[in-house]
Amino acid sequence: MPENTMQDVTAQLPANAKARLQGLRSAAHPTSVFTSDLSVNEFLLVRKAGFEPIGLCVGSSIYHVGIQYGSWNKNQELEVLSQAMYHARELAMSRMREEARGMGADGIVGVRLEIKHVEWDADILEFVAIGTGVVHNHDTKGFRAHDGGPFTSDLSGQDFYTLLNSGYRPIELVMGSCVYHVAHRGMLKAFNQAGRNVELEQFTQAIYSARELAIERMQIEAQTAKAEGVIGTMIHEKSYRWESHVIEFFAIGTAVAPLNVEIDAKDIPAPTLVLSVND
Amino acid sequence: MGWLTSLFGSSNTSNTTRSPTPDFFDADGVPNMVHQRLADSKSGTLPWVSTLTAPEMALARSHGLRMLAPIAATCWMHYGFSWTEGHAQGWRTAIKRLQAEAVALGANAVIDVRMVTVDLYLENSMDYSLVGTAVRIEGLSPSTEPVISTVPALEFMQLLEAGIIPVGLAVGARFEWSNGPLDTGGGWWGNQPLLQTTAFWERIRRHAHADLRADAARQGSGVLAQLQFSQLIRLESESRNNPLLGRHIVMGTVVDCPRGVAVPHEVEFVLDLSDKRDNLRSTSEHHNAYSDGI
Repeated sequence: MPENTMQDVTAQLPANAKARLQGLRSAAHPTSVFTSDLSVNEFLLVRKAGFEPIGLCVGSSIYHVGIQYGSWNKNQELEVLSQAMYHARELAMSRMREEARGMGADGIVGVRLEIKHVEWDADILEFVAIGTGVVHNHDTKGFRAHDGGPFTSDLSGQDFYTLLNSGYRPIELVMGSCVYHVAHRGMLKAFNQAGRNVELEQFTQAIYSARELAIERMQIEAQTAKAEGVIGTMIHEKSYRWESHVIEFFAIGTAVAPLNVEIDAKDIPAPTLVLSVND
Repeated sequence: MGWLTSLFGSSNTSNTTRSPTPDFFDADGVPNMVHQRLADSKSGTLPWVSTLTAPEMALARSHGLRMLAPIAATCWMHYGFSWTEGHAQGWRTAIKRLQAEAVALGANAVIDVRMVTVDLYLENSMDYSLVGTAVRIEGLSPSTEPVISTVPALEFMQLLEAGIIPVGLAVGARFEWSNGPLDTGGGWWGNQPLLQTTAFWERIRRHAHADLRADAARQGSGVLAQLQFSQLIRLESESRNNPLLGRHIVMGTVVDCPRGVAVPHEVEFVLDLSDKRDNLRSTSEHHNAYSDGI
């Protein structure tokens, strides 16, 4: 760093910063106080990308999940449970989006989807979607989703900045869910296979089918949102205190499309390679 | 042995009183026992002390920050009627006390402020403590209302350069009892959203967030890196018809900045070729800074 920037930074501090640090209050902000769960770095990058956070958006749904049992020896989707997981998440997500729309947000970044059990009933789940609503400084329409509402994405501030700089914009947090019952093995079969290494074909196939359904549903959501692709996809496998052979496959990712003013591939900044010598 | 006794002193040995000292705090909320240390730190009679790491110190010095002394404030609260709202009250009191000590030091800001509590949970009570480093900024006159920055020194400087001042800590806390168990979905085999329970829960959350915004509006223009704690419990009792208790606490760093000001620094994309976990790949630590608070 050159010598002069080392010494004169106090003089270079923005006037509002100097005033505030000497105990002088700025003209306050009576109307618009934003809340967000962005970290300092995320906040800086979101601003650098030309956006301002305007408020935390939350949607929740407390949901009674119905009961469905799979046949003992059959691989099958448990539609009641699939639909419950879908419906409850959809309620939480759409409420969050409505909240964002209400505050005039162009989009929501850093969305987290949380699922919790309530303490008193194993069949009641609480679904919460939380994210920070943002507006663009001048282009308030160009970043909206295809229906004119705010975009949603689970990208962090860092990923959001990087995505925009690679010529894409987020459209919608898309997901696909499938609750599946994996068949039990027959007693006779288990007995015959004792002491041998064998593939449990039925189990393998069950996992394949369930995962395919989840991914397929996510892709259909992305297609409906008029996306070009989905980034940051995660495929979760989880059992929510259901009986032992029931498992949920859940695919989630951010559907993206090229920016309205496309960036040519050669203009995308190539990252500099660094090697940190700190131990 | 002379130096040893001077370290442990004899003046404090008789200080094992059973009841609280009546004039513990002065009119501004600064304990009388720290007056001397603060005065000596201010005048430079005592060496400066800081909670910053070496790289943070290098940056602080290059940006004209002069470290004065570590300061701390505590408020130990008993929850008379509400654990939830005790949180808001406890933290706010601690902030006021911390600010008073910073004024006594002639500081412009307290940086690297951390929220800490002792894990004791004595008799429905808990302590709310804040620890940070008071700093002067060269060329600025002392502040009558020093800013309380719950961010590390590095981030403090980063924000200042972008014209954003981390000024304080905002807290929103609400609780509510429901009138009865609300809709339970019990006995249903089908899927059913619990609309009453959802609405009850949402109301508490909205109130807590409104509190947070009001608290933030008194200090700055926005809240970052907020932490939430929420809990929904059902009380099993014959007489009170199994009501639900919902509680929601949100806290965050308050920043003050004009809207739409450009961030001056260029961002360079880099790929770290080392295989270790490093700061280039993670920012989560900041979010965890509050985690031992509640």
